[in-house]
Amino acid sequence: MMEKVSYNKEAIIELINLKKSFGNNRVLNDLNLTVKQGENVVVIGKSGSGKSVLIKCIIGLIKPDSGIVSVFGNDVSKLSHDDLDQMRAKVGFLFQSNALYDSMTIRENLEFPLRRHWLKDTKDTINDLVLDALTNVGLADTIDMKPSELSGGMKKRVALARTLILKPEIILYDEPTSGLDPVTGKEISNLIVEIQKKYNTSSIIISHDLSCAKITSNKIVILIDGTCYATGTFEELNNMSDKKVKQFFD
Amino acid sequence: MKSIALKHFLYETAGIYLFAVRFFKELFKPRFEFNEFLKQCYTVGNTSITLVSVTALIMGLVITIQSQPAMETFGTESWLPSVVSISLVRELVPVITALTCAGKIGSSIGAELGSMKVTEQIDSMEVSGTNPFKYLVVTRVLAATLMLPLLIILGDTISLYGAYIGVNINQNVSFHLFTNQVFAKLDFSDVLPSVIKGLFFGFTIGIISCYKGYHTKNGTEGVGKSANSSVVVSIFAVFMIDLIAAQVANIFHIL
Ligand SMILES: Nc1ncnc2c1ncn2[C@@H]1O[C@H](COP(=O)(O)OP(=O)(O)OP(=O)(O)O)[C@@H](O)[C@H]1O
Ligand SMILES: [Mg+2]
Repeated sequence: MMEKVSYNKEAIIELINLKKSFGNNRVLNDLNLTVKQGENVVVIGKSGSGKSVLIKCIIGLIKPDSGIVSVFGNDVSKLSHDDLDQMRAKVGFLFQSNALYDSMTIRENLEFPLRRHWLKDTKDTINDLVLDALTNVGLADTIDMKPSELSGGMKKRVALARTLILKPEIILYDEPTSGLDPVTGKEISNLIVEIQKKYNTSSIIISHDLSCAKITSNKIVILIDGTCYATGTFEELNNMSDKKVKQFFD
Repeated sequence: MKSIALKHFLYETAGIYLFAVRFFKELFKPRFEFNEFLKQCYTVGNTSITLVSVTALIMGLVITIQSQPAMETFGTESWLPSVVSISLVRELVPVITALTCAGKIGSSIGAELGSMKVTEQIDSMEVSGTNPFKYLVVTRVLAATLMLPLLIILGDTISLYGAYIGVNINQNVSFHLFTNQVFAKLDFSDVLPSVIKGLFFGFTIGIISCYKGYHTKNGTEGVGKSANSSVVVSIFAVFMIDLIAAQVANIFHIL
């Protein structure tokens, strides 16, 4: 059985003293973060502050130099290959660059994680799930197109649909509303909240978009110099007088 | 300056070697991506079949036309088909096919995997519970290894037809007589080494281009570099293998 390392019973994701450098570039420096069951945590930080690196550490794409990453109470760095795959099946990851497969149609893109994780499913249910997921983001009519035929915002929404298709328990969104107009951005923000309510998911949302942060967050974390500089609800941080915090809320 | 280049060369060689070792390790792990393998075979064949056919035809034609005057001087024109066919099948067609494929397949694999790497598609596969090495690399290397010998056999056939056309420009030789003359000297022991060589060519082109693509750095600029160096290094490797194969064949001939 896997060894449980969690110190906090409620925590579904727990990062303890996380450190990561690339050469001389120290990106994460003693970072601590806890995400509870059913909680949406928004991470704000300057470009290049290590937000994407942070969530890649959680899914095991980047190995931290030191510190503990615990997801569902398991230390990610100690998981075997199969256990890691099982863990990843329950975690959705929206890449900042969308990472849609260029050589596949939208349908195949969405089928990909389904076929990988749930081999037993019949063709019909897979088809239904794909259509459902696309309808959720309002793009059912693009199903037979290639990613290169879509606009930037449409790609983002397809990527979101692919992230959500396995009904993950944890979702890591890397800038879900960037490149979207305010109206669509708001729809996506509402979708994120809706998913949280419906399936009681826990998420980390990286965003520069204040309105998205306001709608989706239960808690906001400000990342400065590789650590969590400030934590609180949107209102709390908005009313803080700290200069470094203020600059994000102007 | 020189030592940096040497270091880079050694580093790359070690990298490619380790990549090949990993290939064999992953090859026998379960979950074989058979559909993707077939798709890659089709892609490899489809992208290079036209070019291979055209170059083989021209090769057969040109070699025959150019050899004719020399053979006439010695009064050995009747040997033309057998002499030409042996040099085509044993050496020219395998190498020319491999070079053509190094260009076509090498650049397409290098660029495809390279752009998948820099746009995080490879990471995305990993997150989706797929081993990207098995899904992308193993299938492509296997496809190249299998398809190259087939393309060489195709090239052999077409180049012999080219030779037949070449012979008929200045002489009048029936197809029946031509094939008789060719197969009087050419036999299975000439075709087999070229097929075996083809396996090595295909494997090497596949490994090198996948290695280059899979380790692409520096964004879109890196994709171009990967595609470029896939081709250059593959071509170099094809000649090295050819050299080694010639030595090996020589030794076995003596024995
Ligand atoms: N694979 C890598 N190799 C080397 N350095 C990296 C790598 N990934 C990230 N970095 C460095 O880590 C730092 C943080 O990068 P990261 O992508 O996490 O920034 P970010 O906070 O997501 O920024 P943005 O808002 O622009 O997306 C950057 O300085 C970047 O140069
Ligand atoms: Mg980022």
